[in-house]
Amino acid sequence: MITFEKVNKKYGDYQALTDINAEVKRGEVVVVCGPSGSGKSTLIRTVNRLEEINSGAIHFDGRNIQAPMGRRELNRLRSHIGFVFQSFNLFPHLSTLENITLSPIKINGVKREAAREKAMALLERVGLAHKADAYPGQLSGGQQQRVAIARALAMEPPAMLFDEPTSALDPEMVGEVLAVMKSLAAEGMTMMCVTHEMGFARDVADRVWFMDAGRILEMADPETFFRAPEHPRAQRFLSDLRH
Amino acid sequence: MLGDIVTIVRDNWLLLLVGQFPAGPLGGLVATLILSVLSIVLAFPVGMLIALARLSKSPFLLWPSTVLVYVARGVPLLMLIFWVYFAVPLLLGNRIPGFLAMLITLVIYEGCFLSEIIRGGIVALGRGQMEAARSLGHSYMGAMAWVILPQALYNMIPSILSQFVSTIKETTLGYVINVPELTFAANQINNQLLTQPFQVFFILAIIYFIVCWSLTRVAVLIERRISNKRSGRGGTVSEATVRALTAEP
Ligand SMILES: Nc1ncnc2c1ncn2[C@@H]1O[C@H](COP(=O)(O)OP(=O)(O)O)[C@@H](O)[C@H]1O
Ligand SMILES: [Mg+2]
Repeated sequence: MITFEKVNKKYGDYQALTDINAEVKRGEVVVVCGPSGSGKSTLIRTVNRLEEINSGAIHFDGRNIQAPMGRRELNRLRSHIGFVFQSFNLFPHLSTLENITLSPIKINGVKREAAREKAMALLERVGLAHKADAYPGQLSGGQQQRVAIARALAMEPPAMLFDEPTSALDPEMVGEVLAVMKSLAAEGMTMMCVTHEMGFARDVADRVWFMDAGRILEMADPETFFRAPEHPRAQRFLSDLRH
Repeated sequence: MLGDIVTIVRDNWLLLLVGQFPAGPLGGLVATLILSVLSIVLAFPVGMLIALARLSKSPFLLWPSTVLVYVARGVPLLMLIFWVYFAVPLLLGNRIPGFLAMLITLVIYEGCFLSEIIRGGIVALGRGQMEAARSLGHSYMGAMAWVILPQALYNMIPSILSQFVSTIKETTLGYVINVPELTFAANQINNQLLTQPFQVFFILAIIYFIVCWSLTRVAVLIERRISNKRSGRGGTVSEATVRALTAEP
């Protein structure tokens, strides 16, 4: 579903990603972890071209996303990739419901009524139907992130990317967001999640990728990764995380 | 002294208000306000275009717009007024009325200042909003139209009002090219009376002060409202109650 082939990315002289070769299969949940600054955000943001790469290739759903394409095509491609940010990035001037309906209406030309119905169903699903008319400023962090997930789902993406979706949350709100992500995974959504929630990784992930200094140092199933990480850096990372 | 002022106002209020109108051209405070409103209303789309050009990556948009803004900010307004007043007739072949020359000048000048306000408002939103919109599949212009500008412009209302107050004060410079506005009317009165310049210009100052001060107050009130709203205290009592009632366990 998502493949990285010899992907390299530089910020100026700084090599942020080095020779990334990896694949997220259809229906798979991949958790990306690693120390801060290791390139996790950069990697996940290359998939919808929020970051451009310097060499290599990335395929999404069988399509080379680096192939020359017009702006419309790129926008269309992005609309097929759900992206959830650490800082939610809800649109504060729009109500919860409008946050969700804006893109289907403006981009896909969905009729207002149909978009609202769909949005209500999504809100129901993330447990926030009663907040349809609230504004983001009136919601807790956990609620905002659940709305952000619903907003991404409204475009019916075949895959979802999460960049530390729970890192900005108070501890007591982490669970409600992870629960939504787990239910998505259970429905077979293809997911690539940057997260340090190891419980989530253990329960839900099919694969864990460990990154350090712009490289993927280890790819393993969670069982193996948590029990017996191979790479010394991964061992240290896990022991730091447990303390 | 106070008696003089009352007498002057009583004898000349119509001149101060509308100039020679309807016998002559519209002038006085009404002309000042019309000129100011027209300037800011026309300057707004100009400022918007300049701001978008200044944020663009294309050098063909970036360079000319940047030069324009720097020139407008680096040259006294009076110079611009003379340029427009004397240069436009050379280009067009015939003179243009002072009012029109002043309007064109102010639209360019205020457009440049507004563009900086608008650009600042857009930049202040941060990258997150644009990235969120783009990741959903919105085009750059779509993201601007539905996500960025509605927020940025709303936040800018106080700055735009302040700019409007500056514009009102700047219209006084129209005096040098005989634009019949409030200052011009006051000077006419002074020329008739000859002996009471202090009283006449005191009245003038008071009028400008009242208009500009009230608008500034409005700007401050709006600013407070907006910052309350942003920090989440904007909900009315009933909304807060509803929130308490519907809060999740
Ligand atoms: N826009 C940027 N310009 C320059 N350097 C950047 C930029 N974004 C990230 N970096 C650098 O790239 C490295 C990887 O960053 P990032 O992908 O955000 O790491 P992570 O998400 O794993 O914490 C960091 O060293 C960071 O400083
Ligand atoms: Mg990151």
